[in-house]
Order: sequence, then structure tokens, then C-alpha cells
Amino acid sequence: MKILLNGEPYETVARFVSELIAEQAPAVRVAAVVNDRVVPAAEQATTALAEGDRVELLTFAGGG
Amino acid sequence: MNQEDDALVLGDHAYTSRLLLGTGKFASADVMARAVAASGVQIVTVALRRFDRDRPDDALLTPLLAMEGVTLMPNTSGARNAEEAIQAARIARELCGSRLVKVEIHPNPRHLMPDPIETYEAARVLAADGWLVMPYIPPDPVLAKRLEEVGCASVMPLGAAIGSGQGLASAELLKIIVREACIPVIVDAGLRAPSQAAAALEMGCDAVLVNTAVADAGDPPAMAAAFAQAVAAGRSARRAGLMPVGQEAQASSPLTTFLQGGERV
Amino acid sequence: MNAVSSSPRGDMPRELDPRPWLELPPPDARAVAAALTTEEPDEAAFVTLVRAEPTRWLEAMAQRAQALTRRQFGRTIQLYAPLYLSNYCSGGCAYCGFAADRDQVRHRLEPDEIERELTALKRLGFEQVLLLTGERTPHAGFDYLLAGVRMAARLFHEVTVEAFPMTVDEYRALAEAGCTGVTIYQETYDPDAYERFHRWGPKRDYAARLDAPSRALSGGVASVGLGALLGLADPLADALALFRHVRVLQQRFWRAAFSVSFPRLRPEAGGFQAPHPVGDRWLAQLIFAFRICLPETTLVLSTREAPAFRDGLAGVGINRMSAGSRTTVGGYDGRAEDTGQFAVSDGRDVTAFCTMLRAHGLDPVFKNWDSAYRSVLSPPSALRAEGGI
Ligand code: SF4
Repeated sequence: MKILLNGEPYETVARFVSELIAEQAPAVRVAAVVNDRVVPAAEQATTALAEGDRVELLTFAGGG
Repeated sequence: MNQEDDALVLGDHAYTSRLLLGTGKFASADVMARAVAASGVQIVTVALRRFDRDRPDDALLTPLLAMEGVTLMPNTSGARNAEEAIQAARIARELCGSRLVKVEIHPNPRHLMPDPIETYEAARVLAADGWLVMPYIPPDPVLAKRLEEVGCASVMPLGAAIGSGQGLASAELLKIIVREACIPVIVDAGLRAPSQAAAALEMGCDAVLVNTAVADAGDPPAMAAAFAQAVAAGRSARRAGLMPVGQEAQASSPLTTFLQGGERV
Repeated sequence: MNAVSSSPRGDMPRELDPRPWLELPPPDARAVAAALTTEEPDEAAFVTLVRAEPTRWLEAMAQRAQALTRRQFGRTIQLYAPLYLSNYCSGGCAYCGFAADRDQVRHRLEPDEIERELTALKRLGFEQVLLLTGERTPHAGFDYLLAGVRMAARLFHEVTVEAFPMTVDEYRALAEAGCTGVTIYQETYDPDAYERFHRWGPKRDYAARLDAPSRALSGGVASVGLGALLGLADPLADALALFRHVRVLQQRFWRAAFSVSFPRLRPEAGGFQAPHPVGDRWLAQLIFAFRICLPETTLVLSTREAPAFRDGLAGVGINRMSAGSRTTVGGYDGRAEDTGQFAVSDGRDVTAFCTMLRAHGLDPVFKNWDSAYRSVLSPPSALRAEGGI
């Protein structure tokens, strides 16, 4: 299905947020925001993705 | 004096180090990690960014998480208003579980001055939600008290513009903030030299946060250690009590002769 | 910084307790010199200055106090007049001429009398009036006081009340009626002495009184006046607890204005003797220490004190004074029947007092600010209502 990932169109087979994360960032801790809703870490495995979802995956970077 | 009974208290946490370190602008994650280790800081700030497939692991978190006794304080930089800052804080919590958040909202990219109105609003909402809010603010004594009233864990007034290295340009205002505040005052931004950090602690600020001054130094780990020493020295000096400034000679007429006569009880 | 709980009998909250400071050795010259010149006066500086050796330091303290008074207030003295509305009292304060067991002509001003007294004060030039009553009685309770405030607020720019402890809602009602300030002295911060001298009546409740300034400020009253009745207990301990009380409140109620008064036990008709008499020199030293360590706070001296003492301290620490006072019920418009709450030592009238001030290069100020805009603005919103002192 087609989603918008970090602002860009993206084709994925992931059905849940956790699967998208495993596909994208297997080694890094990331937070997910689906359609402006922060998905709690504990709900990533049960939050289903749908066609056209806007998904942001975020992580920490250096900052002051 | 024992450092143990002179902790920096933020909410229900006590820290012995009064230096906070930002993790931006370092040449590499390795240099950053060595600077953190060399300074003995217990709180480091981190920023949020979109995960980048092409740089899947920028190796920032791994060394930080491995370090004993280092707490992450996510900031909300990039947020242009209160709503975005609140969202950033909620995202950050999913990443590190931290209740500490540095609310940082600077809408003007040229000078990066904090927006007091949006900062206040974000701080109010987050503090009510149970966060230990650490707002980055202009050195405004009234704003500092208003933020204290809404339950912030500290205030972080700027010493000078971010990255400017101008030191404690706001010293006189900082003194008023320190005098009035019931929560820790942490000077954030503007410092260049460890002597400025020492001066901030001597004037009664509770801690300082530095980033560029360390990241841009010739030897960042060594500079981080120097800042740690300066902060400790400044704090010790504050507690020891500075000598008085020389008093000018008084040449006016005496004011207490009326008290020389018989004592009236 | 946090709310403080006190037991009903009234333990001193830890943050006011002066004992740790009193156990320190007497200050050395270095410490006194540092405290005299510091730009960041704190408790330590205050203790140092009140304990400094007077023959060596009193003059230097006076000079510094005068400089700081001028810096903050210029060469002015604010003038106010006390007006006793009633001397009915159910209280049993051992030191007070209005206590219930005292032989006293009881009286209260009726509305027309209040009006006449206020007009008489206004004619003397006053713009700031302090309204006083005793404890709550059926003759003079909250509603009576509220009515008095309403009348005074029509004529005066500042209306301060010195009566009994009230609830936040009562204080709010007073503020809305035009009360700009509440004066409430703890009398003594020493719980044992407090219990001893407040023999009966509601005033026995130490904690309720200690917390009253917070309630007044929470109710939206703009300023509070604090003080201790010097002489009831160890004056040094009381002075330090008072200082801490002011500082704690100033940090919490940062929008509020504060004043500190220095009532010293004076002989009154009932002949109560102060167990810890306070001398002129020490009282002056205390006032200097307050000025040096609270440079922006109003310091008040009443007509309890004698002319020479008041003249010497006007502008030297003190920036607000009463003049031409009566401590009887009414008394500005004709003679009063009672003997007063305490004896007035400075009996000069307003004109004579102002002449003295001008001779000292001080300008008597009757009106501190203009209340004209108050009619179009709502009173200040409640200032963070929370428990604690
Ligand atoms: S001090 Fe006040 S409460 Fe006590 S007896 Fe006198 S008037 Fe009454």
C-alpha cells in the first residue's frame, strides 16, 4: 500500500507500525507519528496502517 | 563542602553536576561521547529529527544510553509554536521515556531568540501534564516567575544569543531572576569560556548548559572537562561567600547622634 | 518555597525558625563589612547586621540605610493616619488596652461618625488611611469593616485594614470594596510566648494568624504589612523570623507590595510590662538592617515612638510614617471617650510633623499613586491561592 513516509510517497507491505519500523530501522529506536497522532511505543504492534496514511518516524539527533 | 548535600534538584531528581551539555554540532558522535564522559555531566540535551534511511544509525543514542548516570533531556527545537513543541515532547517521551523536556521555541531563524508567549503556553500545558519542564527563555524576570507559577522545574534564561559566545551579556537581568526565583536558574546559550560559566555560578545561577563552546573548541573533551571544573569552582565560590567590594569613604554628617543620649526603653 | 503546615497550637514553620542562625558565633568585622556593602543581601547578611557591635557599626549602618532609602524612595516620606473604628474586642491579649478584661469605654463609630472622621482626616491632607478594629465581635464584625472600607475608598487613595484574620473570600470582598492593603502583625513568632500572651479569644490560633497575609494576597489584596510586637519575646529571634516571613512571602507573591513595621511595646493604661524590653539603639539597628537587606520594601514607623527617635530615622531606613495619630476610637473629629490602644509618644500635629520633615530635606507625600483608574479596572486577580504561610 502507498503511504506518505517522512513527507515522501512510499510503497510498503507493512500492515502495522511495528512492521514498518522493522522494515525501515531495524537497529534504531524510533518514534512513530501516524496522521499527527503519536503512537505510544506499546501500541506500535497493534496500530494498523491504512492506504494514504501520513507516517513520521523520528529519532534523536545531536542538539543543544 | 560536600557535593552530596549541594545537589541541583529538578522535580524529584537530584544531580551533583551543575553542568548540562548539548550534543549538537560535534564533529562526530565519538567526540561528543568523549566530551560527555570527560565532563561528568548527568544531563545531556538531544534534538528530534526525522529518521533517515540512508543514515540509519548516526550512533548518537548508542553511546549515550550506554553511559551510566546520563539522563537525556529532549529539546523541542524546530518547533515554531506551542502546539508543535508539545507534540515534540510527546514524541520524545516515546523515544526515551524521559519526563525532562527542554522547551525551546525560536521562530526567527536569524537570531533564534525564544518566543516567550509560545514558550509559556507550551510550558503550562506540559507542566500540567506531569513533565519536568525546562523552558529556554529570554532573561525576563517576570516571565521567569510566571513559568515558576505554572510548575516548571527550572528556567533557562539565555546569557546571550545562541552560539554568539558573548558570555553573560544579560548578567544584570539574570541577577534579578536569581534573586526572585524559587526554582533552579540555568543559564543556557551564549557562553564561550569556562570563566563565564564560573561567573554565572558565582552570581547565584544554579547551573549552566553549554554546547557550541564545547563542540567548537579545539579539543572538545578537554574543554568539556574545563567547563565542569569552572562550574564546580563557581559554585564553591558562591557557597564560600565572596569578599566585599571596597567601600568608599563616607564623608557625610553623622546620622546616629540622636541615639547617643540616655537609652529610652 | 512550599506550603508549610503548622499544628493548631502553632509550631513555627521550619523555614521561619530563627534558631539555627542564633546559634552562630557573633559576626566578625569582615562579615559585617561584607553585609554592609553586599548587593545581594540575604538572611546571613541580616543576622550579621542585627548582631553587629553597635558602637563600631551603627553609624555605618545608618549611612548605608539612608543611601538605600534615597535610592529606592527618593527624599520622600509617605504619610498615613490610623483610624480606629471600634474598640470592642473579645480578645485577651495581655499587652493590649482594648483587651476584653480591661476597664475601657467601649465604643464604635457609626456610619455618620466614620464619614465625619474620614472627612476630618481628608481635611488634614491625608490620602492614605489605616482602618483598625479589634477581634470580630457582634458590634464590629466583617460586614461592619467592609462598610467602613467602602466609605474610606470613596475618599482615600489607599485604604489599609488592620483588624482580624479573615478567609480568602473575605479578603477578596475587602479588595473589591477598595482595600489596598492588609496589615497583620504576628506579634511574636515564638509559639510559647504567643500562647502565653494571647490568653483567650480567636487570636490564640497562631497558625491562622501566621497564614493570614497569604490569604489576603491570595484574595487579591495588593499589599500586606507585617511586623512583630517587639518586647514580647527574644527580639532578635522575632526579628529574624519576621525577616524570613517577609522573604518567603515576597518570593511566592511576587506581584505584591510589602511593608514592615516596628511596633515596640509601649506603656499603656493597663500597665503591661515588656518582658524583653527593646532599647532605642537596638531598634534603630534593626531598622537599618531591614533597610539594607530589604532595599525595596516599605519600612514603617508609627507615633508609638518619640519625636527625636522618629526624626532621626525619617529617611534613614524609614520611608512611611503616621502623623498626628489618635489611638482612640475616632478622635480626629472631636474628642474620644476611651483611653486608646496604646500611648502615642509623638503628639505633634500633621503640620508640625511636615515642618520637621521639610527641615530635614524630606518631602512629605500624602498620595503615593492615583487610584482614578481603579474604577474602570477590575481589582487584581487572585494571586495564586494556596495554603501555607
Ligand atoms: S490586640 Fe487586638 S485582638 Fe488583642 S485585645 Fe487588642 S484589639 Fe483585641
